[in-house]
Amino acid sequence: MKLPRYEYSTEGEAELFKFTSEGNKGSIKKLVVYSQMLQQDIYNLAFGDYDEATNSLDDVLITNNNDSQKVLATVAYTLCVFTDKHPNVWVYATGSTSIRTRLYRIGITTNIETIRGDFKIYGLMKMPGRNLKKGRIMKPF
Amino acid sequence: MTTIEKLNKSKTPIVKIDKSLDKLKGKNLFPEKLAKANEVIARVGLPKK
Repeated sequence: MKLPRYEYSTEGEAELFKFTSEGNKGSIKKLVVYSQMLQQDIYNLAFGDYDEATNSLDDVLITNNNDSQKVLATVAYTLCVFTDKHPNVWVYATGSTSIRTRLYRIGITTNIETIRGDFKIYGLMKMPGRNLKKGRIMKPF
Repeated sequence: MTTIEKLNKSKTPIVKIDKSLDKLKGKNLFPEKLAKANEVIARVGLPKK
């Protein structure tokens, strides 16, 4: 992938990533979190606005910093680092709202051929575990 | 190949280590989202490879 992205940092295990969104609303700290799920080798991907003063996160807030594509590309790049450190794991991801899930799905579908070079992507339908294909409505992916 | 060349050719972007993130390690930062994700996976399972 060679999409515009923000510089980001992580801790030693590559499960937490921090970067700063720069846009018309100013500088907004973002945190990307890969959390171990109950089943072994599955991690949940979540990200949101990070308030360093209170150590709190918000994944529902609509930032409107006019850089959503760059933010999503940055999150996608963190996935490369995460899976480099944690190979052969599953990563579960969905948006905090159906609109966001749709936005993320569009981002994946737009870049699906590139992504398939490194990852297998599955979307959840009534029949689980179908491969994500263009034009097919799925949530979460 | 030099280390720099290897790094430049690497698919994995170079990333900085931030010690300030250590304080968040091990915390459940998105508890509701994680619970929902666990519920979905428990219900539908994983796709067959």
